[in-house]
Amino acid sequence: MSTTLIVICLIAAALLIWFIAVFNSLVALRVRVQNAWADIDVQLKRRHDLIPNLVGAVQGYMAHERSTLEAVTEARTKAVASSGGSVADRAQAESALTGALSNLFAVAEQYPQLRAVESVQLLQEQLTSTENRIAFARQFYNDEVMKFNTMQSTFPRNLFAGMFGFSPATMFAADDSERANVKVNV
Amino acid sequence: MGTHSSSTVVVGPRDRESFFEAQRRNRRATWRLSAVAVLATAVMGIPLALTITPLLYAAALIVADIVSIWMPLPPSFWQHANEIARYGMVAIGWLTQGKAANPQALALGAAVLLLPGAILSVALWLGVNALFRRAGVGGALLALKAREPNPSDLKELQLSDVVQEMAIAAGLPAPRIMLIDAPAANAAAIGTSLNDARIVVSRGLLEQLNRDELEGALAHLVASIGNGDLRIAFRVTSVFETCGLLVAIVNSPFGSRSRRTLWRIVRYGLAGKKDSEGSAAEAAAVAALLTRGTGLETDDIDNFFDTTSRKKSVLRSIRNFLFFPIFFTNMAIKLSLWFFSFSMLEPSMALLWRKRKYLADASAVQLTRNPDGLAEALRKLNSDHGPIPGGAWASHLFLVSPAESDRVNDPKANAAQQQMWVQMWAASEASEKGNSSTSASADLPSLMKEITATGSAAVAGDANAMARMMAFRQAAATALGKSVDEMPNLADIAAAQHGDKAALQHLMEFSNKMKANQPAASDSQKSSHNSSNFAGFFPSLKRRLKRLDRMGAHVELESDGGKSWIVIAVLAVCLGPFALVALALLLLLIGIMMLSSLAFLMVWMAFIHELFVVFLHH
Repeated sequence: MSTTLIVICLIAAALLIWFIAVFNSLVALRVRVQNAWADIDVQLKRRHDLIPNLVGAVQGYMAHERSTLEAVTEARTKAVASSGGSVADRAQAESALTGALSNLFAVAEQYPQLRAVESVQLLQEQLTSTENRIAFARQFYNDEVMKFNTMQSTFPRNLFAGMFGFSPATMFAADDSERANVKVNV
Repeated sequence: MGTHSSSTVVVGPRDRESFFEAQRRNRRATWRLSAVAVLATAVMGIPLALTITPLLYAAALIVADIVSIWMPLPPSFWQHANEIARYGMVAIGWLTQGKAANPQALALGAAVLLLPGAILSVALWLGVNALFRRAGVGGALLALKAREPNPSDLKELQLSDVVQEMAIAAGLPAPRIMLIDAPAANAAAIGTSLNDARIVVSRGLLEQLNRDELEGALAHLVASIGNGDLRIAFRVTSVFETCGLLVAIVNSPFGSRSRRTLWRIVRYGLAGKKDSEGSAAEAAAVAALLTRGTGLETDDIDNFFDTTSRKKSVLRSIRNFLFFPIFFTNMAIKLSLWFFSFSMLEPSMALLWRKRKYLADASAVQLTRNPDGLAEALRKLNSDHGPIPGGAWASHLFLVSPAESDRVNDPKANAAQQQMWVQMWAASEASEKGNSSTSASADLPSLMKEITATGSAAVAGDANAMARMMAFRQAAATALGKSVDEMPNLADIAAAQHGDKAALQHLMEFSNKMKANQPAASDSQKSSHNSSNFAGFFPSLKRRLKRLDRMGAHVELESDGGKSWIVIAVLAVCLGPFALVALALLLLLIGIMMLSSLAFLMVWMAFIHELFVVFLHH
């Protein structure tokens, strides 16, 4: 009698410990996902801050490419304005900015004297890095989302993950206009 | 690693492995090998404890004798001592002559023989851990004049950008970057934890790798930090440091060098918590002193017994006589340390560390999603890894195994090299009249910067700079004893950039010639390298590339047709018996050493004890 009671108590304790561990790791993963999402924001902001410098630096050399430069400035303004908006709006504005920027770099390829200027090279490197950082921040976000979702949806955790208010997070998918994005080479 | 798969040409898709799967596999292997390493350390601890324990008892007995001069100890103390000795003798009798004994007495005897030594070893290990914890691993690299990357230099800006990118990809705080102005291409991760990790990069690495390769190389280091390799490296080195400390302690009665080492450790321990880089460097220097002790060096002892060179004195002979029994203990400890660390500890640690390297490679692929970058970087670095300052002590922390000669760390060689560069640069200035705008810088880094700046100006089209560089080329050729054709020609590079086909042709010929010369040079270098503790800590390039290939890199792996396995098998069959005999002989020697150490200690102990008894208690 008493031995069965002890066994039952032990099993219950083990279950409780396992339960707490799963719950805590789910919470930790959710925090990581949220952090990863915030990191993307940081990198987008960085890009917005860099663009005026770049436009200012190349303006003198690319007087004939006024429209290209204006497109970049305009796309940036829109992207900054959309920072408070919905995710879909933001994604659209940011990908438009990416498109305008890659267009600018494609045009800049035709100005060899521009590519020789050191300050422009440095700016270009910074922008390349920013594009990469956005991509890597997204990749990290998606990896974390994948871990989080896998954890929630596998048996037997799927039985109670929903009960405690865990829901699958959504991946940050690149849309078609960005997939066509040319990689900036320095 | 089956022989059949490597000897036949595989048609169709090769066996692939996702980087997640590779990481899981290497993590599991880490657990297994950690267990093996712990076991190896424990096995090594048994003979050590057996040898150290009698020494401790001897010391305790003498202390008790001295104490009883002033304050006679109760008879029960001596009874307990007798009892302990009897249990010890039971265990020794069972071990050496197979005398039967009841299990309880045997267990007590084993505890009597093993525990004091084991406790002392563990205490030493904990002490070493506490002592070096705040310095972490790789402190030796901090002693160099490393600098922060300069954000107005394109390559260095790229470096800090790539590190930031990789930290973002790994979700880690960005480690600090330290640049060393060394021509060799390599990089390492050092520090104690995630929060104070640093990445050390040589300037040569930036010159050799393009952005993708740099990304792969740094992803490996960032991933390694994220996987917690710094802590593992610290544990691994602390075991070796403990062995060195043990040797220093048993050597200390005989030699001044060991005493100096010990004194330096004590001073470092007492210095308090200074979070400066100097203290980390001091820790590294002390640690390096300790590892030097693990070898079978006996110069301290040789000096001790070498009485021919110095005057004989009564005091000296008394001291020699007193310490003579400890000599066998000393030899037994050193021999068993050498044997077991060579045969068990180092291989298990090396295997463990290799798995961590593979794991970091797989994690790097996860970060960059570009296995080609890392594969290309590894290939380039392996074909051209020169000496990196910072010492062999941190060598296992590097991306690829650095060559061992400590050329740049050696102040004399360093000064000579600097002198040569300064002279070359000055000679070029003298021969090129009319341009006396720049005076030769005194220190190497700024000189290098000056030269590279002039070089890039020359390529960009500055005629003055070009003339200067051509003169420098001439000067360098005469200083190094080579023909001018063997030095890189900047004029060709500049011309090739403007589309000159002939110049391009020249450059191709030049690079081919250099490649042809390289293997011979590296071979001759290899013979002069001293052996290192950490040589086996790096997986071979081929194996790393093979694993990257399975994760999707496009590397061409030449198949060796399984011949190396046949050679190894033949060698094993031929040399195996000899190796076994040598192994048995060494074990026998260690056993004999331990027993004679025990016998001498006992006789010595009894003699001294009797002296006390006779003279003081009648």
